[in-house]
Amino acid sequence: MPAVLRSRLAPIGLLVVIIAAMTPLIAGSAFWLDNSVLVAIFSLLALSVGMAYGQAGILSMAPAAFGAIGAFATSIVTTRYGLSPLVGLALALLLPAVVAYPMARAITRLSPLPLSIATLLLSLVLELAIREGKGLTGGYIGISGIPPLWFADSVFAMHVLSWGLVVVVLFLYANLTDSAVGRAVKTARHDPLRATADGVNVPALLASYFAISASVSGLAGWLYAHHLTYMGPDSLTMHVSIKVVLMAVIGGASTLLGPVLGAAFLTLLTLYLPAAETQGMIFGGVLIFVLLVAPNGVLGTDWGKLIARRSDKQPMAVRPAATEGTA
Amino acid sequence: MYELVEYLLRGALLGITYGLLAFPVSLLFSTTGSVDVALGAYAVLAVAVAYSIGGPVGILAAILATVFASFVVGIISLRLNRPGAVDHVTAVLGTFGLAMFLESLILSVFGTNPMIRQPFDTFWNIGGIRISPQTGINAAVCLVILTALFVVLRKTPFGRSMRASAANPVGASLNGIPVRQIWFATYLLGGLLAGVAGVLILYTTGADYSSAFTLTIWGFGSAIIFGMNSPLRGFAGGLIIGMVQALCSGYLPGAWATAIPLVVIFVVLSMGRMNQIVSTGGRV
Repeated sequence: MPAVLRSRLAPIGLLVVIIAAMTPLIAGSAFWLDNSVLVAIFSLLALSVGMAYGQAGILSMAPAAFGAIGAFATSIVTTRYGLSPLVGLALALLLPAVVAYPMARAITRLSPLPLSIATLLLSLVLELAIREGKGLTGGYIGISGIPPLWFADSVFAMHVLSWGLVVVVLFLYANLTDSAVGRAVKTARHDPLRATADGVNVPALLASYFAISASVSGLAGWLYAHHLTYMGPDSLTMHVSIKVVLMAVIGGASTLLGPVLGAAFLTLLTLYLPAAETQGMIFGGVLIFVLLVAPNGVLGTDWGKLIARRSDKQPMAVRPAATEGTA
Repeated sequence: MYELVEYLLRGALLGITYGLLAFPVSLLFSTTGSVDVALGAYAVLAVAVAYSIGGPVGILAAILATVFASFVVGIISLRLNRPGAVDHVTAVLGTFGLAMFLESLILSVFGTNPMIRQPFDTFWNIGGIRISPQTGINAAVCLVILTALFVVLRKTPFGRSMRASAANPVGASLNGIPVRQIWFATYLLGGLLAGVAGVLILYTTGADYSSAFTLTIWGFGSAIIFGMNSPLRGFAGGLIIGMVQALCSGYLPGAWATAIPLVVIFVVLSMGRMNQIVSTGGRV
C-alpha cells in the first residue's frame, strides 16, 4: 500500500477497530448506546469545526447553528409534511451550505477574524428566528414526535448508523484533505497571496470549503433530530457550539481523529460534571489551558519534541499555525 | 415626526454606552490587530460586582475586577499571540474561552436575575421627552474618556509607541519600543474602559449574565461602522447602533427589533475595511 494512502486510511481503520471492539461491550446497555450515538453526533459537529478551523483557518462559532438548520429542516418536513427522513437528509446537507456559502462570500475578502464574528452573529440571529418562527419551528415549545429512522429504529441501529456516517465523513474528509483542493486550502490559509499567485480563487475556495463543513454540521443535526425525536430552541444553541469548538481544539483541530477524540472525551466528561451553570467555567478553563499548553490539540502535538524541549530548558515555541498531524 | 425624534434621541443616549465599549475594541484592534471577545463579559462582571456591593465602593471594586480579568486575558493573549508569531484567530479563541468562563462564573455567583439600579427619581424634561439625569452622567463620563484617550494617543510618547506597535510591531521593537508591554497595557486599558462601561450600564439599562456576548457584539458593531482606526469613530458608531436599536424597537415587532441591528452589523462587516488587510496575508 502506498505510504500516502496508508497514512490517510490508518486513522480511519483505527477508529473502525475501536468502535468494533467497543460495540459488544456496550450493546446491552441502552444508556451507553445512547451516549455512543451522542458522541458520534458531536464527532460530526467537531469534524466540521476541524475542517473549517483546522484546515481552512476559519473559526466558526456556529457549528451548532448549522446543525440546528439541518435538524429543523428534517423535523419540519417529516412532522409537518409527512415526507421521508431521506428528503430531510438532503435538506440537512444542502441548507447549511446554502446559508454558509453566501455568508462567507459576503465577508468579501474572507478574512478569518470578521468571519468568525459573523458566525457569532448568525448564531444569535438563528436562535431568535427559531424562537419566533412559531408556525414553522414551534417557537419556544419546539417540535416533538420527530419520527425515528425506519432503517435504524433501535438505539443499536442508530449506534451503527451514526458511527458508519462518521467513518464515511472521515474517509471523504481524508480524501479531500489530500486532494488538490485540500492542498490549495492549506496554502490559502497560510499564505493567501501565494495561493492567489498560484491561480487559486481564494475567497471562492475558502467559502466552498466552509460550506462543505457546514453541510457536515447539517448531517449531525439530521442525526440529532431523529435520534432525540425532539428539537427545540434550546437544543443546539451557541453553548453547544462553544463546546463543539472546544472538542475540536482539545483533540487537535487539524488532525483527522482529533475532533472525534475530543467529542468522546468531553461528552463522557459532561456525564460526570456538576450542575450546568458551572460547566462553562470548566469548559472555558480547559479551552484556555489547552490553547496555552498544546494549541494544536492532543493529537496534533508532537509530545516527544515538546517534552524534550522542556527538559532542555529552552522556551517552548508556540506555533499556532498547525503543523500537519498524521493521526 | 415627534416620535422619530424621540427614538433617535433615546437611541443616541443608549448608544453612549456602546460607544464606550467600542473604545476598547478599536484600541485593541488597532494596537494588536486582535479582538477581545470577552469585553462584553468584563462589562457584565462590572455590572454584577457593582450591583452586589453597591455605592462608590462597589464601583471601585467593579472596575478593579474588570482590570483584573483583562490582566488575565492580557497574559493569556500575549502567550498566544506574540509579536512575530501572530495568529489572531487563536487569540480570539482564547478570549472566547475566558468569556465563557466569566459568563458561567457570573451565573453561578450572582444568579439569573437582571441587575439594574435606577439612582434618580426625577427626570429631565427636554421638549416633552423624559430623560434620566443618568444619561447626562453617561455622556459626561464618555466625553472625558474620549478626550483623555485622544490626548493619550495623539500627544504622549506612550500613545505614539502604541500607534507604532500597531503599524509595525517588528519595526517598533527594533526601535526600542517594548511592544509586548504596550500590547499588555492595551489589554488592561480595554478592561478598564469595559469596567466603566459596565458600571454605566448598571445604572442605565441593566444587564444579566447572558448579556455578555450581545454586549460584545454591540461594542464590536459600533467599532466597525466607521472603521477601527480611531476611538472617536467608534463612539460615533455607538450612537448609530443605539439609534438603529431604538428605531427597530420603536417600529418593528418583537424579535425583529433584536434581529435587525445584528443584521445591520453583518452588512457593515461585509462592506467593512477590516477585510482589506488580511486578504493579502497582512502584506498590503
